[in-house]
Amino acid sequence: MCELTYIIGIIGKETVRAIIGLVGVLVLVVVNALILTWAERKVAGHMQRRIAAKEVGPFGLIQPIADSLKLLGKELITPTNVERPLFYLAPTLIFIPVLVSFVVIPFDSYLQVKDINVGILVILAFSSLSVLSILIAGWGSNNKYSLIGSIRSVAQNIAYEIPLILSLLPIIFIANSLSLRDIVEAQNGLWFVIYQPFAFLIFFIASVAETNRTPFDLPEAESELVAGFHTEYTGMRFALFFLAEYTNIFIVCAIATTFFLGGYQGPILPGIVWFFIKTYFLVFVILWMRWTFPRVRFDKLLNFSWKVLIPVALVNLIVTGGILKL
Amino acid sequence: MVKKTLEEIKNNLKDVDVSETSYAERGYHIAIDAKKDNLVSVVEFFDGRKLYLADMCCVDYVEYLELVYIFKSYEALCRIKVTLKIEPDKPSAPTISHIYTIAHWYEREIHEFFGVYFEGHNKLIYLFLHDGIDHYPLRKNLTPVTQEDKVLLNSFKPEEEEDAFFINLGPQHPSTHGVLRVVLKMNGEYIVSADPVLGYLHRMHEKMAENRTYQQFLPNPARMDYPGALFFNLAHVAAVEKLCGIEAPERAQYIRVITCELNRIASHLLWIGAFLADLGGLTPFLYAFDDRENILDILETATGSRLTYCYFRFGGLYNDIDDNFIEMTKKFVKRMYGRLGMYEKLITKNVIFINRAKGIGILENDVVVHKYGCTGPIMRSTGMPYDIRKVEPYAVYNKIDFDVPTGTTGDNMDRYMIRMKEMEISLHIVEEAMKGLPSGPFNAEKIPKKLKPPKGDIYHAVESTRGETGVYIVSDESDKPYRMKWRVPSYSNLMIFPALAQGTLLADAIATMGTFDLVIPEIDR
Amino acid sequence: MGKGGIYLETKDPIIRFAVVQKILDLARANSLWPMTFGLACCAIEMMSTAMARFDIDRFGAGIFRATPRQSDLMIVSGTVTKKMAPTLVTLYEQMPSPKWVIAMGNCAISGGPFVFEGQYNLIEGVDLLVPVDVYIPGCPPRPEGLLEGLMKLEEKITGTRRFPIPEKKW
Repeated sequence: MCELTYIIGIIGKETVRAIIGLVGVLVLVVVNALILTWAERKVAGHMQRRIAAKEVGPFGLIQPIADSLKLLGKELITPTNVERPLFYLAPTLIFIPVLVSFVVIPFDSYLQVKDINVGILVILAFSSLSVLSILIAGWGSNNKYSLIGSIRSVAQNIAYEIPLILSLLPIIFIANSLSLRDIVEAQNGLWFVIYQPFAFLIFFIASVAETNRTPFDLPEAESELVAGFHTEYTGMRFALFFLAEYTNIFIVCAIATTFFLGGYQGPILPGIVWFFIKTYFLVFVILWMRWTFPRVRFDKLLNFSWKVLIPVALVNLIVTGGILKL
Repeated sequence: MVKKTLEEIKNNLKDVDVSETSYAERGYHIAIDAKKDNLVSVVEFFDGRKLYLADMCCVDYVEYLELVYIFKSYEALCRIKVTLKIEPDKPSAPTISHIYTIAHWYEREIHEFFGVYFEGHNKLIYLFLHDGIDHYPLRKNLTPVTQEDKVLLNSFKPEEEEDAFFINLGPQHPSTHGVLRVVLKMNGEYIVSADPVLGYLHRMHEKMAENRTYQQFLPNPARMDYPGALFFNLAHVAAVEKLCGIEAPERAQYIRVITCELNRIASHLLWIGAFLADLGGLTPFLYAFDDRENILDILETATGSRLTYCYFRFGGLYNDIDDNFIEMTKKFVKRMYGRLGMYEKLITKNVIFINRAKGIGILENDVVVHKYGCTGPIMRSTGMPYDIRKVEPYAVYNKIDFDVPTGTTGDNMDRYMIRMKEMEISLHIVEEAMKGLPSGPFNAEKIPKKLKPPKGDIYHAVESTRGETGVYIVSDESDKPYRMKWRVPSYSNLMIFPALAQGTLLADAIATMGTFDLVIPEIDR
Repeated sequence: MGKGGIYLETKDPIIRFAVVQKILDLARANSLWPMTFGLACCAIEMMSTAMARFDIDRFGAGIFRATPRQSDLMIVSGTVTKKMAPTLVTLYEQMPSPKWVIAMGNCAISGGPFVFEGQYNLIEGVDLLVPVDVYIPGCPPRPEGLLEGLMKLEEKITGTRRFPIPEKKW
């Protein structure tokens, strides 16, 4: 026991906390991906009047483990004419922003790896990096379909980032701080979704578009481009793309919970349980949307962002600023 | 109409050999024997009267080759057969692809199967066959492909054009179109030109027909169009019955109508699922297949198979239906009316779907359509109520009252609504037919074991789920057909796609192709 | 060697990881992702198997990937013609190992009903092009047939059958 205190004395309390936090984040990412893989198939199955994933373990709970073990054991193929540095870099690069974003999310009032005072800026800045990695994946694959898929994805992500930021700004005005902990604390009385319903809707729609989910999943449109930007990736590299997509969904839902639905606040149950209930409810809504709607056509998608979402978000911002000033 | 047309032909085309034929025996009213120099004027005359080219085929009588053109009117029942005899060594004929656009592809097909050279045709390249088949397959005697013909057939090399971005749609499709390959030349997201490449599922049905007796060929038509297998079965059986003069009893005709309409509903349900899967909505696929499984259960009690039916026989049916069938059908009809309302709420009122379907893929009116010979829901979406069950009734369709839904603008939404309404109308027909179902024998008496139809040819058409399906049989009194040519609706429907896809976005083109309801095995035969 | 006397034809490898191999085999058998390679009529029965009544997703094989790079199983359902053969072989080679092939339907097994004297466009059986693991006869085989073929493939991979056939009592 005294050796432990000796070591902590040398390294420093903050570093130990950071290490424990990062290990916890990694575990959370993996567990979340497993849960979401299972949940996606189950939700899809029950909406389609069938029971999916029943035979592999009770209620199909071992299915995601079987999937990941299989993907680990697959051959990693590198096609001949790819741009090697880009091809190898893309799956790793798509994973980094996701991990960094977890650092600032407050799971409970004392469970946050590091409360940076410009928390939301960190998340937004790093999520733009994922656009870069999609572009690299598409270009480096040396495949027409990947290229078209990644071009569409880049155009879509750039278009929908602006309403995303614009819808978060009114909340920042009201809470008067960029740090995520302060924003949750400012919702002590009333959740922000009641003050800012439009902002919540715009944020939700923009985040579905950011994560390339149906109805905005033209970059991976199966019937047109074989599988979009990750056509040429096999085995574990594909698993990393898969993992990053599911973790992205979790992060945008976590941000929506933090900004609009009161974060970890709630009666009786401990804060972390409320946080996960709210986040997974929003995740369920996103999964639900995938199996209900067809795809929106690409130019209509971009038109929707530039001509509808951005003006509404701007008006919302101005009105909020005006009301706060008065 | 027939008399009028005969008069006009005799007045306008002076030196052409015209004769009237018996429709009940031959399936066509007027037979014209043209020569090489007046073929183009005959065809231009029909083009001026807005007749469409239903079929064009070639028959190899060993001393000469005969090109057969079948024209039909959209307005009234008048079918005209034009024949042209050409010599067997180095055969050649004038092209009509500048008058009727669909003839472009028919002539390519005849060129690679028979070796007929069409003067004036600008693109006689491989359509169904490929490099490696060294003879003309459908000639009676083994005729090798000449060297200059090989060069001509092989001159399709899309990837060698510089500064052009080519995308291949298929032949391995994530969606359910089958093995169709379309070479798209793109300019960013816009399509500059689309070129279908066929033949990936060419299963030699027409060659098999010449090697099998009529009875042995019965399973084959179902494999051509597997969602709507009973229609092809019916076309084959009804054509041979007409040729031999066999009459199927009343009960068999009613049961034929009932099962065919159930099959139509099943095929449309498959189409709804596939169309929405193309657009990205994956759930209605499963709902549609659920309903379809009910139909397959009903049909399985009578026919014994789930997909590729071979239920009709010459002179009637293979098996009679029992009370269980009738009970299940009644229950199904009652349930299906409610399910159609569910599809209405789930799909038709969905904003995203309306955005993807309304105003997209607009087909101009019949000015363009008659040059392609489009039939079926595609034709009806332009506003013309052309349905073979009304114009040329077969089985007991003349005793049942039903309407023919049409569209107004010819866009994707119209084609979708027409098929939904057709399902409802089919349910109605099934109900009426079951009410009027007589008792009696289900097979005609005295069908010979070896069917040897008298000498002659016949063309018979039915309205299948995709349009007009026709079969042209030439018989020479033996128990094997001399030539059997199938006129499939998806062939003419597909050929209008390159014209529609020009200048549109890739996503729109795929949605449009989804509404055409193409089944590739029937195109490739 | 699996139950029922299935001899695996490979030589025993020198280095063996017993438990890890068993776990990996179990994982692979329970998560076979097919590639959408429906050619003809059997494709409709394959789609029916993936639908609500027969539900191939229960066994883990429900995610149909469109790209060969991310799939393990190629279900050849339909006739293989000479024009389609190079495409099929290319797709097979693009799949990462370990990979399996199921030949579904009579056409994929040996040409089916289209073999006749003087045929010029048919590959009589897909095992002339790629190695096949399971053959499912039928024209078209019922969806239950495809599920039984999937069970057979799982038995080939792991050595044990998922739903053991009870012993005959007569």
